[in-house]
Amino acid sequence: MRITALFTLILLSTNLFAATGRVFVSNEHADSVSVIDSATNQVIETIPVGKRPRGVGVSPDGKEVYVAISGDNAIAVIDPVTMKVVRSFASGDDPEAFAVHTNGNLYISNEEDAKASVFDPASGALIAEIEVGIEPEGVALSPDGKRAIVTSESTNMLHVILIPEHTIETNILVGARPRAATFSADSKIAYATSEISGEVKKIDIASGKVLAKTSLGDDKAKPKDVLVSRDGQRLFVAGGRANQIFVLDAHDLQLIKAIAVGKRVWGLALSRDGKRLYSTDGVDHQISVIDTETNTVVATIAVGKFPWGVAIDD
Amino acid sequence: MTPTLKFSSSPGCSVLRTLALVVMFMVPVVGWAADPLSVRITYLGERDTDSWHGAMQGLDEANAQGKFLRLRYELVNANDQADALALNGVAIIADVSPLRLLRVSELAFDTPVFNVSAADDDLREACQPNLLHTLPSLAMLDDALQQWRRKRPGSEAIAQAWHPRFRKYAAAQLNKRYTKRVGRSMSDAAWAGWAAVKLLADTIARLGVAESSTVLEALHTDLAFDGQKGVDLSFRNTGQLRQPLLLIEDGKIVGEAPVAGIVAASNLDSLGLADCRK
Repeated sequence: MRITALFTLILLSTNLFAATGRVFVSNEHADSVSVIDSATNQVIETIPVGKRPRGVGVSPDGKEVYVAISGDNAIAVIDPVTMKVVRSFASGDDPEAFAVHTNGNLYISNEEDAKASVFDPASGALIAEIEVGIEPEGVALSPDGKRAIVTSESTNMLHVILIPEHTIETNILVGARPRAATFSADSKIAYATSEISGEVKKIDIASGKVLAKTSLGDDKAKPKDVLVSRDGQRLFVAGGRANQIFVLDAHDLQLIKAIAVGKRVWGLALSRDGKRLYSTDGVDHQISVIDTETNTVVATIAVGKFPWGVAIDD
Repeated sequence: MTPTLKFSSSPGCSVLRTLALVVMFMVPVVGWAADPLSVRITYLGERDTDSWHGAMQGLDEANAQGKFLRLRYELVNANDQADALALNGVAIIADVSPLRLLRVSELAFDTPVFNVSAADDDLREACQPNLLHTLPSLAMLDDALQQWRRKRPGSEAIAQAWHPRFRKYAAAQLNKRYTKRVGRSMSDAAWAGWAAVKLLADTIARLGVAESSTVLEALHTDLAFDGQKGVDLSFRNTGQLRQPLLLIEDGKIVGEAPVAGIVAASNLDSLGLADCRK
């Protein structure tokens, strides 16, 4: 009897803490978050969250989903199981993109304030503020947890920030309007996109040197999000108004394939196993689901108006 | 290839850094404050004009970048033409008559002179190599209107470089910053003043050099600047900054030029004199 009770408890807790496999999409112009079941590619819930939701992220333990509510200067916290907003906290002016540290803290770019801020989402406490360039946008955290990169769009820089000191280590000038950055698995390399110059750069963090750069051929290519494949061999770049996702060789940035998706492809998220890539196709109000082995679109899912960010609880 | 420089912003090693900057910035235009490095930009024209306020907004933003690179830009107001030349700045921003613009650019040789207020076509046709125009020419505005009227016959729209209600491409953020600073909305001349200082400072930061003739060459060949207009802008050999324009009717933005459907939206040279030889 006692053993059965214990077993049930274990089973129950396993179920409670198992990832939901749900995909969370912020709809910038619908003030909502669409929740997709990744097993069926169906929208199972639409959650009202507040004005102009943009960045989305999942806590390291998978128990919370965070959404930057730009119009309300707040972060909304969603329970991925119940799919309800459980609380929110003030996040500084105009939060846009953010990244979740393995210690649970959120690193947020505050576009109008030329600052990055660090918040503890459990208490809502502001841990640090870092002055960066004008119109900060993309935020990336190194897998080793020792560095953050914040891109400033109107100052054309990557600011490399040391953690936990929260001081700027280096400032790296890149092409016009840097939008997003990401780290390699060993935390030594950063990849960054510049929207106006249509560039992707591969940068050595220790020296600040550009190891490789490429210009995406398409005139309309305004690269936004960038992610590294789980095996570290490829890059996925959201091509903005090129309406394509560019798959690049992570070593030399040579183009492997351009995958046609919906209009104004913006945000990207990769499943934990690396097999599925999700993109927000803003102007088509849809999500594209891509098989990363064949680099083909396997599903498109209608969501709310102007999807911006996407994150997966897996 | 645009060189990418890495600047350390951590404190310490200031002697080494100063030495490194002495080597990097071996130039007469630089005022030698110990640290950070001072870069002088000269302003010729009245203060309290839209162009002046735009240039000051540009200066704020240039220094927002410069503080990470140990560069400090200053905008020094010249009393007259002789003073503007004697100040020996890396560039001259000039809000003066077309005749005086031509004269000062001739005397300044290979120092960039930015025209931020005169739309005269003659100034572009003069093809003075160091005279750069961030304000669109009358011919550009006219071509924008012609294109628009082919799409919307009978439209009463006017063409402008900028508009306080322009929101796309982070234009809303620039309008907000400017209005907050100056207390009025951003005009074409204000945008032209802002753009001149901003693109100049960004070019100096990329070069790591503040020497006038080197900067002038880079402005012509390696500009990386969108002017919050969403495309890569560049200078023609006429000295004119290629740029999209806005079509305004009843105080509202109704279109953008180059007008898609009439010409390719990316064909910035469909506006105004494209080339000195034509």
